Amino acid sequence: MKITETIAAIATPPGEGGIGIIRISGDEALMVGRKVLRHLSGKPIASWPERKVRLGYVVTAAGEIVDEVIYFYFKKNRSYTGEDVLEIQGHGGYQNLKKIMTIIFEAGARLAEPGEFTKRAFLNGRLDLAQAEAVIDLIRARTDLAQQVAMKQLQGTLSTVIKEQENRLLALLVPIEAALDFPEDEISTPERASALEEVRKVRLTLEEILAQADQGIILRDAATVVIVGRPNVGKSSLLNQLLGEERAIVTPIPGTTRDFVSEVIDLEGVPVRLIDTAGIRPIEDPVEKVGVEKARHLMEEADLIITLFDAATPLTQEDYALIKFLQEKNPLVVLNKTDLPVKLSVETLKAAFPQSKLRSISALQGEGVQELKGVIRAELIGAGGREEQPVLVTKVRHKEALTEAVEVLIQVEQGIEEQGSEDLIAVNLRAALEALGRITGRSVAEEIIEEIFSQFCIGK
Amino acid sequence: MQQCYDVAVIGAGHAGCEAANATAKMGFKTLLLTINFNNIAFMPCNPSVGGPGKGNLVREVDALGGLIGRNTDRAHLQMRALNTNKGPAVRALRAQADKHLYQQLMQNYLEQQPLITIRQGEVVALDPAKNHWRITLSTGLKYEVLAVVIATGTFLRGKVHIGGLSFPSGPQGQHPAIAFGEFLEAQGIKFKRFKTGTPARVRKRSLNFAVMAEQPGDQLEHGFSYWLRWNPREPVSCWLTYTNEKTHEIIRRNLHLAPMYCGAITGVGTRYCPAIENKVVNFPQRERHQVFIEPEGLNTDEMYIAGLSSSLPEEIQDQFIRTVPGLEKVEIVRPGYAIEYDVIAPEQLTTSLQIRGWPGVFSAGQLNGTSGYEEAAAQGIMAGINAGLYLKGEQPFVLHRNEAYIGVLIDDLITKENNEPYRVMTSRAEFRLSLRQDNADLRLTEYGHRFNLISNEEYDRFQAKRQRIAEKLSYLEQNQITPGSEAAQALQDAVGVTVQQRMSLKQLLKMPAVKVSALWALFAPEQIFTLEDEVVENYIKYEGYLEREAKMAARLAKMEEKKIPEDFDYTVVPNLSFIAREKLSKLRPATIGQAGRISGVSPADLNTLLIWLTRSGRR
Repeated sequence: MKITETIAAIATPPGEGGIGIIRISGDEALMVGRKVLRHLSGKPIASWPERKVRLGYVVTAAGEIVDEVIYFYFKKNRSYTGEDVLEIQGHGGYQNLKKIMTIIFEAGARLAEPGEFTKRAFLNGRLDLAQAEAVIDLIRARTDLAQQVAMKQLQGTLSTVIKEQENRLLALLVPIEAALDFPEDEISTPERASALEEVRKVRLTLEEILAQADQGIILRDAATVVIVGRPNVGKSSLLNQLLGEERAIVTPIPGTTRDFVSEVIDLEGVPVRLIDTAGIRPIEDPVEKVGVEKARHLMEEADLIITLFDAATPLTQEDYALIKFLQEKNPLVVLNKTDLPVKLSVETLKAAFPQSKLRSISALQGEGVQELKGVIRAELIGAGGREEQPVLVTKVRHKEALTEAVEVLIQVEQGIEEQGSEDLIAVNLRAALEALGRITGRSVAEEIIEEIFSQFCIGK
Repeated sequence: MQQCYDVAVIGAGHAGCEAANATAKMGFKTLLLTINFNNIAFMPCNPSVGGPGKGNLVREVDALGGLIGRNTDRAHLQMRALNTNKGPAVRALRAQADKHLYQQLMQNYLEQQPLITIRQGEVVALDPAKNHWRITLSTGLKYEVLAVVIATGTFLRGKVHIGGLSFPSGPQGQHPAIAFGEFLEAQGIKFKRFKTGTPARVRKRSLNFAVMAEQPGDQLEHGFSYWLRWNPREPVSCWLTYTNEKTHEIIRRNLHLAPMYCGAITGVGTRYCPAIENKVVNFPQRERHQVFIEPEGLNTDEMYIAGLSSSLPEEIQDQFIRTVPGLEKVEIVRPGYAIEYDVIAPEQLTTSLQIRGWPGVFSAGQLNGTSGYEEAAAQGIMAGINAGLYLKGEQPFVLHRNEAYIGVLIDDLITKENNEPYRVMTSRAEFRLSLRQDNADLRLTEYGHRFNLISNEEYDRFQAKRQRIAEKLSYLEQNQITPGSEAAQALQDAVGVTVQQRMSLKQLLKMPAVKVSALWALFAPEQIFTLEDEVVENYIKYEGYLEREAKMAARLAKMEEKKIPEDFDYTVVPNLSFIAREKLSKLRPATIGQAGRISGVSPADLNTLLIWLTRSGRR
């Protein structure tokens, strides 16, 4: 049996608290435990009774006591992950837990990736795939709204809607297939006009769901917002304003904290990853070439670019370079420092970005920031309130499947309109059903044949 | 006395004949055993070959070097082209065959093969001996063979039902194979029982055709076979009439006498070839059902009344048949009946149609749970080729779902636990536009030649044809048409299409209104050749779809590459759903692709299995 890497993570939410729990899982969990834990007497721990609460110290490699803790040992096959698991409950507080984690890493464990405990639980047979996916989505759901979507999807809102569409397509397809396979039997196929109407209805429904798909995908994966602007234009102040009181809600999930430039905030229910491009300027300076490349890449990937200008200074060379760089990228333009005497007018910027939305703020005073948040949210997911938006699609592969279904249904419509041959209409209807089946997990191949025989009296 | 052969084929029906031909062509001394020498390639049901899906199978068997296509072409009474306007994927030929001529021609052909010995006899035992199999006949005669193809059709423990009467019998009063069924069961072969049925045969001169609709054959440019010169015979018509409320009333009143409704039959019947009593019960809203009157042959007065299959008592059959217009004065020659027979449970078959745990023993045809001459022939040729490859010590020959309907058929047989006799349908094929009847040779003849079922002379013809197709395609790609040119004007006049911009003839051909024959007529009259043109035209017009299917096939191939070890233990995989674990353990798919097609195996199960296989592979 291959030795699996031993992983560790802080299991309790961040922030100050009475206790903090660290979980270690893997074949070497006990080995890590032997290195980092000591009896209160200072002696190494020899026996590890299963599921018993014990008291001890966490010590550094040099033997220095870091914290007094209680610990539990769960034996392989009898733990959440199905592997050997050691759970250490230390005193809460981020600094303390971080220190314990450092010692654990030195003892041979590595930081768990998000959802990795659940993944292992699945691989070891402790959870089935559907449960595992749901748990991972819930873990990854960064905000309340995202959590609601994940829950809703678990309950099958998307499946229900898609299944209805599948049924409608199936009802169309069955008589067509029956007539193709049994040309000498008396089978009435749907009128072209009504078939066309039905296909169109299904296609429009799918398109409606798709229109909301981007929003759903953002809710799950956190939208990326990149803030660009020359130094001293107020990027940090804006970032702090946006983080502001939301900072407490930020969930520094292990693994994401390694990304230094980004912070995830809850923007009225929408998880948003803010990236400050401090030190990265899109100018053609050989020294900064790497930085420029990175900025370009970030901007290409971004769901929204916010570009910041200083109202108290006329446009500089660097500003002009930025404006040129951002042409066609349709950024959200923000004029900062409106509390100071104005040297750069809104009109000048409007001329530079005729297509873009433009807002004036004073990041320092906090003026216009609340309104800006609204604009960011609207740019990302549309203007509607959360109640009236039926959020459905939260997976990229679902979106792809829907897009494919819509494309082939358009071909079906063309086929019907242009008096195309029935085999192609059948082939395309099946392709649409196959695509939708990737969402619902339904395979219609057998159903079609069952239906042919139950609906039509076939055969000599 | 013992005699030795390389291969024994048990049963000389449509599967057995193909199997014997294949092993003989591969160079093996073949013994073809039949329970009755008079009934080689007997058609106990409809005298009809082909139709959507089935016609594709005939072409595929022909492309591999099999017999059914050639023999049907020689013995046809009429041919029809079906679905001509519904697209290339479903276009199909269907032939009415002269049953007696069909048998006679097949028998003559097999008799002429130097490596085939035909022997009448009832097999009662098949025992493993050192490195070979020993076959025992009911007379005590024994044969030693190295490989076996079992193709016993509906004979294995066959039981015929007519009303309350039931008795052991093969089809149409033939001797059943009771002992062999019992023998195989005692050896551990698991069987299920299927049921099929057939209508009464009636005397032609007792019918009144004046009140029926005539169904003449079509004038066609070609028959089934790629190899035989098409020689259309004088077409003989079929006739169409209908049942009515009176017919249904008689059947309803006598349902308690039907073995299927009084519990005498336990076997499972077909839904696509139902008895008239089933039609009446299952579709009470239908006011009438079609009845096709089909000739059984030129030299007989017997007619087949398709659509009136029944196992009601003879006198009831007589009563309800008389209610059908044109059949009022009917004289029944033989009554309709239902027959129950043994079918090998599919989990015992591998993709090469070998029986698990019986090295060198293959099974084919109705015994495997199919119905239809075409399905039987397709399995027969595959089992024959695989018996030959087994003798050569080579890898089995398996066709995939994207290569042939044969692949679809065999894959369905072993992955789906069919609970009725299986019939091929175009709607079962995912790669319908690729598996057309016009390109079966392009898909399969290469294989047929490799196994020596296609002669060198035939292969040369095939290569020349393939070459001409390539030339035609490149001609269409390279030649262009310019707006306002003489050619454009000619095109406008001929098909009413205006050329708006300079384009290749290939692009032009993608327009629905433009047919390749029209282009040849205008630009290259020397190019016309019907069968090839169908290929060329379909290739260009459906290029996008064919590419889509090719992509899908590549995805499938990836799944088919992921092999599951033969002895894989599904009980150790956690999380598999109960039903998936049961089915997988039972059907033992060879690949992840096959596993995915087993009903009850969900995508989640498949993922679990994939992850598990990857993990155990890494270990």
